[in-house]
Amino acid sequence: MFPTQALRARSVWKGPNILPLPIVRPKPGERIAPIKTQARSATILPNFVGLKFQVHNGKNYLDITITEDMVGHKLGEFAPTRKNFTYKQTKNK
Amino acid sequence: MVFIFGFNFPDSTLVKRSLESFYGIGPSVSRAILARHHIHPWAKVGSLKNPTVLALTADLTSMKIENDLRREVQDNIRRLKDMGTYRGRRHAMGLPVRGQNTRTQINTARKLNRIERGGMGRVQM
Repeated sequence: MFPTQALRARSVWKGPNILPLPIVRPKPGERIAPIKTQARSATILPNFVGLKFQVHNGKNYLDITITEDMVGHKLGEFAPTRKNFTYKQTKNK
Repeated sequence: MVFIFGFNFPDSTLVKRSLESFYGIGPSVSRAILARHHIHPWAKVGSLKNPTVLALTADLTSMKIENDLRREVQDNIRRLKDMGTYRGRRHAMGLPVRGQNTRTQINTARKLNRIERGGMGRVQM
């Protein structure tokens, strides 16, 4: 996993990595399903704030609610791809 | 004993060395400060005249050093941690943050990467 794709140099002329995500604005009082995506490298834009995403971590989709702080980071930074090591006792030795 | 920026230094200390004892001042910044106040690079603290010491202290007060700087660094790390980013998690675990290998040689990260980076600060007189 890349530590943070926000740190990696990207040419200014390219602008942020904007990907076509199926974003729908909810009408007041209406609930919408979270946006399921595998686009971990998509930059979080200011108009994502408050939306719910399900970001792929290679195995399953993790729920993320976008807050104002997260703008400018990438979706993948919030979905860890590695499991912590835990020792498992082996029975048949 | 001479007071610079609220800290006590023995007369025989080099001015450069005493400046670099502050968190946030290294070789290049201390060289710039010495040049700005017309102090010789090998000058000792005891040889400074009183107005120079006051000017130095005033200069240091206007800079972002010591606890202000520590707080800024720690706030940045805490922000990452609270957002739940990978970088914040790595800081909390004391592991390398920028994708380095961790099989061997992660002593620097073990020492430095933590939420309270930079320690709690020196006691001001």
